[in-house]
Amino acid sequence: MISFSKEDVIIVTGASSGLGEGTALLLNQLGATVVGIARNKERLNKMKEKCKNPENMHIEIKDLTENIETLPDYVKELKNKYGKFRGLAYCAGIVEVKPLQILDLSAMKKIFDINYFAPIFMAKGFADKRNNTGKGASAVFISSIAGLQSDKGMITYSGSKAGLAASIKSIAREQAAKGIRFNCVSPSDVITSMTSGILGLKETKANLYPMGFGEVSDVSNMIVYLLSDKAKWITTQNYVIDCGYM
Amino acid sequence: MKKEEFLLGLEDVLQREEAVKENDILDDYDEWDSLSKMAVMAYYDKNFGVKITLNQMKDIHLVKDLINLAGDNIQ
Repeated sequence: MISFSKEDVIIVTGASSGLGEGTALLLNQLGATVVGIARNKERLNKMKEKCKNPENMHIEIKDLTENIETLPDYVKELKNKYGKFRGLAYCAGIVEVKPLQILDLSAMKKIFDINYFAPIFMAKGFADKRNNTGKGASAVFISSIAGLQSDKGMITYSGSKAGLAASIKSIAREQAAKGIRFNCVSPSDVITSMTSGILGLKETKANLYPMGFGEVSDVSNMIVYLLSDKAKWITTQNYVIDCGYM
Repeated sequence: MKKEEFLLGLEDVLQREEAVKENDILDDYDEWDSLSKMAVMAYYDKNFGVKITLNQMKDIHLVKDLINLAGDNIQ
């Protein structure tokens, strides 16, 4: 049984919806202190209303793409407020389906900002040993099976998620000597508020999932496991959670 | 760059919790590993336009060695 104590302070980004929300709620339920970050105050508050231990659920309003280079300072500020971090779950991200004909660079950069650059700079802040609890600290990032097996219209999204998984592996190797673990999870189609915006997803892909589409908890359970000491020998990995889709 | 500013910068590059002092021995720092050495090389390149070679790095054992390497860039 995985459990945390309230001294285990864990950052969850994208905490107001989807995988981030599910992860924040589960960690909180298992006893961890959660610092949930998202842009939307209202939705963050709604998430907080659902949690089991409100005294150990803190929310922070922040657009992570606003000034990416200063994210390590932001992590330091949070550390001064909440204490050193035992974990980071980076669940913020956006998806956009856009074929080559209509690609534009500024839109691509926006996706890379939140899906690639921001997680790397959050990792930089988290890996700073002045901000984490040292050996046993663990970070998990949401990549995607799109980063491993790309589909039509996923040029930018796939690139950002493949890049993230590759870079997290490098970071994991750099940090391994300190006992800090970095892993990715790569889900396929999990029904969240983000993916339900993809036109025709349910209709076109339903027959590819013999056990149905994924649920948030199918992924958040894995994230929480990787954050816990049960996974103390696991680092540099990228776990596919796709019901055999690939 | 003032020496005090450099020492703070070095503290940040090495991610040290205690202050870096001018008379400290780098070789005694836990943080003084190969990745940190590369980070210091990048710091010199970015802030001073000084490219430290790996051979030069082998002879760096003290904070003072680093200060000397920066020449006039640190007052």
